[in-house]
Amino acid sequence: MEIRPIISALMRSKVAMILIGLQVALTLAIVCNSLFIISQRFERMQRPSGMNETDTFYFGSSGFGRGYDARATQKADLQLLRQLPGVAAVTPAWSVPLSGGGWDSGISLQPRQKTATADSAIYIVDDAAVNTFGTHLIAGRDFKPEEVVDTAFGGSLHPAVVIVTKALADKLFPAGDAVGKQIYMDQDPPTSTIIGVVDRLQHMRAESSSIEYSTLVPAYMPYDNFTRYLVRTEPGRRDEVMKSVEQKLAESNRNRIVSKMRTLEQTRRDAYADDRAMMIILGTVIVALLTITALGIVGMASFWVAQRTKQIGTRRALGATRFDILRYFLTENFVITTLGLLVGGALTYVLSLWLLTHTDGAKLLPWYYVPIGFACLWLLGQIAVLGPATRASRVPPAVATRSV
Amino acid sequence: MFSYYLQLGLRSLRRNPILTALMVLGIALGIAASMTTLTVMHLMGSDPIPWKSSNLHYVQMDNWDPNSPYNPDGSPPDQVTYRDAVALMEAGKADKQVAMFKLALPVQPVNPELKPFRALARVTYADFFAMFEPPFAYGGGWNHDQDAQHARVVVLGNGINEKLFGGQNSVGKTVRLDGNDYTIVGVLGDWKLRSRYYDLTVGAFADPDDMFMPFTTAIDLKQRSSGNNSCWTSSADGWDAYLQSDCVWIQMWVQLDSPARLAEYQSFLDAYVNEQKKSGRFQRPLNNRLPDVNTWMADQKVVSGDVKVQTGLGFAFLAVCLVNTIGLLLAKFTRKAGEIGLRRALGASRRDIFGQFLIESGVVGLSGGMIGLLLTGFGLIAVRALYTNYKTVAQLDWVMVATTVLLAVAAAVLAGLYPTWRACQVAPAAQLKTQ
Amino acid sequence: MTDEPNVCAIRGLRSIPGAARRITPMPTILADPRLPISFTEPEGVMLKMQHLSKVYRTHMVETHALRDFSIHVRDGEFVAVTGPSGSGKTTFLNIAGLLEEFTSGEFWLDGVAVSGLNDNARSKLRNEKIGFIFQGFNLIPDLNLFDNVDVPLRYRGYNAAERRKRIEESLARVGLSSRMKHYPSELSGGQQQRVAIARALAGSPRLLMADEPTGNLDSLMARGVMELLEEINRAGTTIIMVTHDPELAARAQRNVHVMDGQVTDFDAEPKLRMQSRDADIEEAVV
Ligand SMILES: Nc1ncnc2c1ncn2[C@@H]1O[C@H](COP(=O)(O)OP(=O)(O)OP(=O)(O)O)[C@@H](O)[C@H]1O
Ligand SMILES: [Mg+2]
Repeated sequence: MEIRPIISALMRSKVAMILIGLQVALTLAIVCNSLFIISQRFERMQRPSGMNETDTFYFGSSGFGRGYDARATQKADLQLLRQLPGVAAVTPAWSVPLSGGGWDSGISLQPRQKTATADSAIYIVDDAAVNTFGTHLIAGRDFKPEEVVDTAFGGSLHPAVVIVTKALADKLFPAGDAVGKQIYMDQDPPTSTIIGVVDRLQHMRAESSSIEYSTLVPAYMPYDNFTRYLVRTEPGRRDEVMKSVEQKLAESNRNRIVSKMRTLEQTRRDAYADDRAMMIILGTVIVALLTITALGIVGMASFWVAQRTKQIGTRRALGATRFDILRYFLTENFVITTLGLLVGGALTYVLSLWLLTHTDGAKLLPWYYVPIGFACLWLLGQIAVLGPATRASRVPPAVATRSV
Repeated sequence: MFSYYLQLGLRSLRRNPILTALMVLGIALGIAASMTTLTVMHLMGSDPIPWKSSNLHYVQMDNWDPNSPYNPDGSPPDQVTYRDAVALMEAGKADKQVAMFKLALPVQPVNPELKPFRALARVTYADFFAMFEPPFAYGGGWNHDQDAQHARVVVLGNGINEKLFGGQNSVGKTVRLDGNDYTIVGVLGDWKLRSRYYDLTVGAFADPDDMFMPFTTAIDLKQRSSGNNSCWTSSADGWDAYLQSDCVWIQMWVQLDSPARLAEYQSFLDAYVNEQKKSGRFQRPLNNRLPDVNTWMADQKVVSGDVKVQTGLGFAFLAVCLVNTIGLLLAKFTRKAGEIGLRRALGASRRDIFGQFLIESGVVGLSGGMIGLLLTGFGLIAVRALYTNYKTVAQLDWVMVATTVLLAVAAAVLAGLYPTWRACQVAPAAQLKTQ
Repeated sequence: MTDEPNVCAIRGLRSIPGAARRITPMPTILADPRLPISFTEPEGVMLKMQHLSKVYRTHMVETHALRDFSIHVRDGEFVAVTGPSGSGKTTFLNIAGLLEEFTSGEFWLDGVAVSGLNDNARSKLRNEKIGFIFQGFNLIPDLNLFDNVDVPLRYRGYNAAERRKRIEESLARVGLSSRMKHYPSELSGGQQQRVAIARALAGSPRLLMADEPTGNLDSLMARGVMELLEEINRAGTTIIMVTHDPELAARAQRNVHVMDGQVTDFDAEPKLRMQSRDADIEEAVV
């Protein structure tokens, strides 16, 4: 309605307008980019590991002293663990998804291939692995007990058979016929045969670009005197089983240290602790920023209303209704916010480009964040200015003749 | 006059308590957000050993796969092979030099009440203590002869000495590690390391090392590294084959006391690699690097992208808060144009008005800064809770306290200056002429 | 709805400042058909108050600003309200101009009983029937002259062309066409008051209220403003003017004296209109 006179009135107090506009612009830029980062992190954290995370835990055992026989202890431990009540499945596992450390390796389709076809996490496990991880075999078959062979830890790995994840199978054999195919875990023969494909099992490093590529290798292969065990319990009995395992293992062999038991849930929390922290920090920044901006608009608008009391009275005396006055301030706020948002739109992409150069794997802000941000800040501005504008509309027209 | 201004300022602030609170809170939040993030970033990236960081150089050589670089950007591996580490140690061309790796190994306490536990040892050479200068509570490091003799000696950190010996001087006693007895030659004092900068391959803010032992001894005992181990080609099985392989798993540092020495060492290293090329190793282009401590920390992104982004956002937030406060002060002072005109008409000079209003904004800024400092403290507690690894870097030191106070005052004066200047522009007669 | 031909009666009367003056016959003002009552008789009553009272209550203190206040103003009259300070002149004007509500009594404005109207209806009536001229001019400092005069027209809902026409006409009427883009702070007091008059006239009100319109002006400027008001009155607009200046009051058709919230003395019949033909004064206020 009366946008032009509002703008020309605003041009008379440019600084105040610029300040509010600038605040809105910065807020838009920060909120859009922060929301985008939050949503990216959220997506990352939502990726399933492919495991049964609720009922699973793992721990390490390291023996010491010259008389310690890692291989014999491993077999004894497995036997002991599998007998414990509440235990559903146990496998020795070099590493587990998201835990951070472990073995990864390039996988090739040709001997001495110049660059590997895919990088994969290597989980060195026994024939109970698929069951223990809680992942699902979607093609081929599981390991047989006789395929789990005693292997010395050394420089190379040449398992006869392996199971891979579907993502890796599709990467290596896009035709979808991975089962039965030969792959090179190493640059040289012998090859390994893919005997099965599981639907999903994530890499041990959450930040890996090969997050969905994993390979199960059947072997009894302690890392020197160290073995890690992965235990899946019957549903709901995890905490109870953790306690009994700790107790049983403490009794079984005095020449070793059983490391702290960790649940998969803890592991997931730790793996994404930085992402979660980032989300919380950015979320706090967004809330604080919107609050400050809203309060700033309330404060400024209150001042303007107070400053223009006589003007409001005059307008009322000249025939403005209460609603006209209310609308005047709402429109004024809309104009300022819009000007700020236009600058803010540009600023948003400047910030996005800055983020692009300062963080790994950052993406350019998708365009739709900007209109959503516009809508939010328009709404915020209108809500913030509603109070002062209502106060303005209550200014009696007699102020025109009475005020000093 | 100052007390009169102060009185006027305080009265004016009291008259609009909500507005005053809003302005103070705005500055406080802005300061807290920016200072919390800045503190973390500053402490993470700060020079851990400023007096000699430019003399300490990390050694990088490119022995990687001729077909694909170690890093996509073409930089050489972040560790070296055992063969090369030992060759460089034996050449001894630097002023001081160490090869090292991380080792997790079981500690078997003599005290039967203590259960065996795993501890982290730094496996290294005698020069480590002279190069990285940890403080000793008792005794000292081992010497070069003991390196050569593969001596079973150990230097304990103060934490593990506390655990095993109740913090007593344990020099001369022995400690059993993985079935072998080691003689304690030294005990460190409280080594306040913000980041374990001498080994960035396994996270700069991971657990600190519990103890230190000779490299030669650990190799004798076939102790495998608990750090990263990267291979581009397979080696034959067995310990000796592993030592001869092209797998990288050792960190190597040299101390070079002058630029001339650095240049000498660089050419020595180039010559070494060129020599190795003759035997078929190092097939990639010559790419030897000797980054100093700060360069290496920047290369390894000790300050994570997230922390940089947070700091950037913290300051953007401060900017919003400042703009907010400027706007509110401006509006407030503008409303006082009548009063200012009157005061000017009654004989106040421009300086008087400036003083009066600058004090008002100064009070806002200072109280905002003080509360901001307090909130920064809380912010750092929150950061420590969110990032359990950041204990050592989410802490206020006096530099940061001073910076915070300075920033707060600067922010407040900045926020107050323009509105104050505008207030001073009111002409004495302005109010009397028109409405 | 805004294209109706009820143009301002004073159009073209004095478009070129300083030029020889020509008086042309005035068309009568047409009533706005949108108002509840569109009928006006030539000798009709514009404003009628009977036994009106106004009590201000503040902090347990009651101020009887008006008591048993009765007055009637005929269509086309020029009434000057005088009286000592605090007697209730502004209060009367505020109530008459629908700026304030009264406590008891009866009040008809142009045939409409005001007491039953809500705020919106009063705003509308104010906008369409009444023009205000304030002692302090009350121009909006952030708007230039054009936009200032535009304010009531915006609320009136005229289209852009109609508004522009009216603004230009009324600014021309007060001799300020050339200053349309100026801001109030760039004008003298007399000029500002003339802008205020232009603003009051732009909507072709039937009733013009002026509260000490010359209170902030020197006597020369005051006389210029008075001239202008007289001219507007001659064109058919009813004027009620509060003034402290006996000389100005004497120039009105009728004087109402207010004392202690009551009308103590008023001329029953209009006096003979006095007319100034002093061209120098005309020049001075331009
Ligand atoms: N809002 C108000 N609240 C309380 N009392 C009021 C209010 N407005 C006016 N009065 C009182 O009503 C009485 C009439 O005031 P009014 O403004 O009408 O006087 P006036 O005749 O216009 O005087 P002046 O010539 O000085 O302008 C005065 O006693 C005044 O104090
Ligand atoms: Mg009055």
